[in-house]
This record gives sequence, structure tokens and C-alpha cells, in this order.
Amino acid sequence: MEKKRVDESLQVPAPGRVDRFGFVKQEHNSPDGLSRNKSALEYQREQKRLRKWRKMIGVGGSDWKHYVRRKPHVVKRRIRKGIPDCLRGLVWQLISGSRDLLLMNPGVYEQLVIYETSASELDIIRDISRTFPSHVFYQQRHGPGQRSLYNVLKAYSVYDREVGYVQGMGYLAGLLLLYMSEEDAFWLVVALLKGAVHAPMEGLYLEGLPLVQQYLFQFDRLMREYMPKLGEHFTEEMINPSMYGSQWFITVFSYSFPFHLALRIWDVFLYEGVKIVFKVGLALLKYCHDDLVKLPFEKLIHALRNFPDDAMNPDVLLPMAYSFKVSKRLEELEQEYEKIHGKVAESKAKQKQPQLT
Amino acid sequence: MARRPDEEYDYLFKVVLIGDSGVGKSNLLSRFTRNEFCLESKSTIGVEFATRTLQVEGRTIKAQIWDTAGQERYRAITSAYYRGALGALLVYDVTKPTTFENVSRWLKELRDHADANIVIMLIGNKTDLKHLRAVAVEDAQSFAEREGLSFIETSALEAVNVEKSFQTILGEIYRIISKKSISGGETGPASIKQGETLVVGAQDGNTKKTCCSSS
Repeated sequence: MEKKRVDESLQVPAPGRVDRFGFVKQEHNSPDGLSRNKSALEYQREQKRLRKWRKMIGVGGSDWKHYVRRKPHVVKRRIRKGIPDCLRGLVWQLISGSRDLLLMNPGVYEQLVIYETSASELDIIRDISRTFPSHVFYQQRHGPGQRSLYNVLKAYSVYDREVGYVQGMGYLAGLLLLYMSEEDAFWLVVALLKGAVHAPMEGLYLEGLPLVQQYLFQFDRLMREYMPKLGEHFTEEMINPSMYGSQWFITVFSYSFPFHLALRIWDVFLYEGVKIVFKVGLALLKYCHDDLVKLPFEKLIHALRNFPDDAMNPDVLLPMAYSFKVSKRLEELEQEYEKIHGKVAESKAKQKQPQLT
Repeated sequence: MARRPDEEYDYLFKVVLIGDSGVGKSNLLSRFTRNEFCLESKSTIGVEFATRTLQVEGRTIKAQIWDTAGQERYRAITSAYYRGALGALLVYDVTKPTTFENVSRWLKELRDHADANIVIMLIGNKTDLKHLRAVAVEDAQSFAEREGLSFIETSALEAVNVEKSFQTILGEIYRIISKKSISGGETGPASIKQGETLVVGAQDGNTKKTCCSSS
């Protein structure tokens, strides 16, 4: 088939031209193992896994909390293997705490979308067509995808005026909207930024991007502890983590990583929190370690932004990521950072903090 | 360590691309370094980086260009990249007056964070959108003159004046550098000839050894 670029006369590509996630196929298709046909055995295994998941969740998520309380380690293990794609949206809402926020705040989203105005409206509009531009859902100008994305981002910018809208948030919302409704996606963004289950992410987007700076500090130190030779090389070549790692944290790997990998990272991220971002980052560096230590500055920068296809296989990268134990060191490094820079500011708008019981 | 043939150059100049979000910085960079333009481009998160080696005034110059996210909030990260830059391409969108009005704020940003004698070029991009033009050439021209900046209008989409804009700023940097090396002046940002240390994108303003050392 010809590899023609999608132009305006053909806004919705034929099904054969998009991958299973809805991204328009590029000339360079990564061998993710998802496009090839599944064997009968694999199919059976997948069906079995799906049955287990359905049982664990219960109808509409009714058994979930009970199951998590009883067997948290089983849940963790299954999530690390990947949430079945057809259940992903529901499970994400359950593990992030967003379902509870939604139930506690009926009508709030509608109010924010319809009646409120935001100072960030023009900024959001400017970026709408620049978010997942190769996904069919977001390609049609003013189409349902772009409208939903706008609504979620605008609603958030009103809900939390101190954060407002910051570039990168569109990738969070854009990824979520592929798996759930606008209102569900909105509350999941709230759950993440306000910290319903894990540490709040809002510091990634507040004035001064304080949490980005803290995470990069922590990542740099961890990297040097685990890979001293690479750390030394980075020092010699004057590579600092903001050159490659900012977008890992700001968009949780959804900005430039293959989508099937981003989803697997998000599964774990929503259940275990931000430490998976550190672990995946470390795994990426470790996987490419022997090449990276040889590269001079410019090639190094390029390599750190273009990891090889074989490193993008979640079943290779994630087990490597899990092998890094970072929780304790992250806490210590956070304290160390706070000693130098003071505590990273959290939102002053406490009245907007969701009530979580 | 010997310099590999593909890395041969007389000078290495660090340049930053700044300006409001959505004015076309990333596409100017991709047009200049790869001769590509992407209609479906993503917004830049943080910083991007690319290089190109070219002939300027008979010298081989390697331009090392840092492309920065335009949104104000990102300056917390991006302003660190102004340090050590010899040139700045300050871009606005000729169809969006606010992006031109914000040029003064970007100049202040540079004054606060960049080296004092950084060479600045004002670029009005997107001239291909003729029917949408909202910033007159004359206005930008006179503003540039008042502020002592060079000025050019470009279209990254149609590849108009992109080459010329980079050639111009690199030429200006070269003339300043070569004048300095003749007079022996060593103030401000200086890139030094091959065989000695070169100023590159160093966070702390230190010189970086690319592959040769002055010692």
C-alpha cells in the first residue's frame, strides 16, 4: 500500500491504515509484536487472563476494592503483566481513585465545561491539534476527539486555576480519553494532580515546575548510583537530565514513546505511582548502557531521545525496570533535595483539594 | 583523541530558538537541519536539540541549536539553556500580533539569563499565510532597528529565508568572534578555534572539551 500522508481531503483513514490503537501507521513501523497474528495458544491464554480479570473486578468494578484488600500482591502482579486492553479504562479509574471522585462530585464537570471561562482557552486551542497528531481520534479538526480534549483541559484549568493549563497535560488527557469518557478522564486527571492515591503531580505543572526539578535531581542521583560509569560519562559530556528526562515525568512517557509501551507503563504508574517512571528511566539507560558510555555529546543526546526498537518491548523493558528498588532512596533523596531547595510547593488552593475518604 | 572526519569544523556555535508557543520554532529547526516540515507536529515539551554543519564566510561552522518550549511556565527549565549561547533566534508568528508583542518580554528574558553580548535575530515566521498576516514588516523592521537586532521574515513551510536566517546569524557571530580573536579580547561568550576548547551548552558555563583539549 502506498505510504501517503494523510491530507485534509481524507480526514479519517481507512481501518487498514491505523494500528490497533488508532494511530496512523508510519513508514517506520516498530516491530512491537502486536501487529502479527496471534497463535491459537496465545489467543486461549489471553481469554483465560481476561476471565481472571473479569472475576477480579466484578460487574462494573463491584468486587474490586474487596479483592485489592484481600490480595494486593496478586493485583500488583497482574497489573505488572498488563491490564487487558478492553478493561483498561475501567481498571484505570478504579486504581487511580478517580471513580470515587466522580461519584462524590456529581454535576461538577458539566458546570466547569459549560458555565466557566478559563484564561487558558487560547493556549489550549493552540495545542489541541498538536496533541497525538497521528491518532485518528484527534486528527479531525473540531471533531469529537479534539472537542473532548479541549473540554477536559479547559475544565481542569478552571478547576485548578493555579495550575491552569500547561503543555504536556494534553498528553495525559489525550491518552485517558482513548479509554474513557470526558468526565471520567477529567476526574482521573484530578486524581493524579491532586494526589487521590499517590503523591500529587501538580508540582510538575505549577509555576517554576518545582516537581520536575526535584524528580530530575532524584533521577540523576539514582542513575549515578546504579550506573557510575555512565554517570561519569554524562559529567564529562555535560549531559544533564533535563536534556532527556523532563518529558518522561511531565507526560509519563506518553509524549514520544511507542503507545503500546506507554500503556503498559501507565498501568503500573496508576497503581504504584511515579516510582515506575524512575524505574523505566533507569531501565532504558541500563539497556543501552554499553552504547551510551561510548558516545560523544551530540550522539548521546540523540540516543537518549531515540531509544532502539528492541528497548521499546514492554516485556523486556518492564522486568528490567521492576528490578530497580528505588522507594527508600527516592525518599532520602527527596529529603536531601528539600534541604537544599526547601520543600517543593504544593497548591495553595487547598479549598479545591478533593475530599477523599 | 583525533577528531573524526565527519566532525570536522572550524567553529562550534551554540544557538537557541525562543519565542511564544506555536510560532514555528521546531519547524524552523527541522527545515534548517533536515529540510523537513511537519504539518502534524507536536508541541515541544522541555527542550529539543539538533545540529548542522555549514559553510559561513568560507569557514566550516557547526551550529548546535537548542529548541525550547514556548509556554511561559517552561522558562523554569528552558532559561538554563541560554547560558553559553552565542546567538538567539527570537521567533514570532506574522499572523499573531500577541506573539510579536511578547518579543519585548523575550528580550528581557535574554537580558536576565543569557550572556550580555549574545547575537539576537528577530524572525517573523509563517509568511506563507499571506491572507492572515497581522504584523506589518515595517513594524517589525523598525522595532528590530530600535533594539539593535537583525530581522528577517521566513516561511518554514515553503522553505523561504530559513537558510538565510541561520546563515546571517552564524555569520554575525563569526564576525564578532574573529574580530575578538584578532584583538585578543576574551570577554563574553566566545567560541574558540578548532584545537582549543569550545564553549558548548554547558549548564554552568564551563568550557567543554569536545574532543580536543587546550592543555
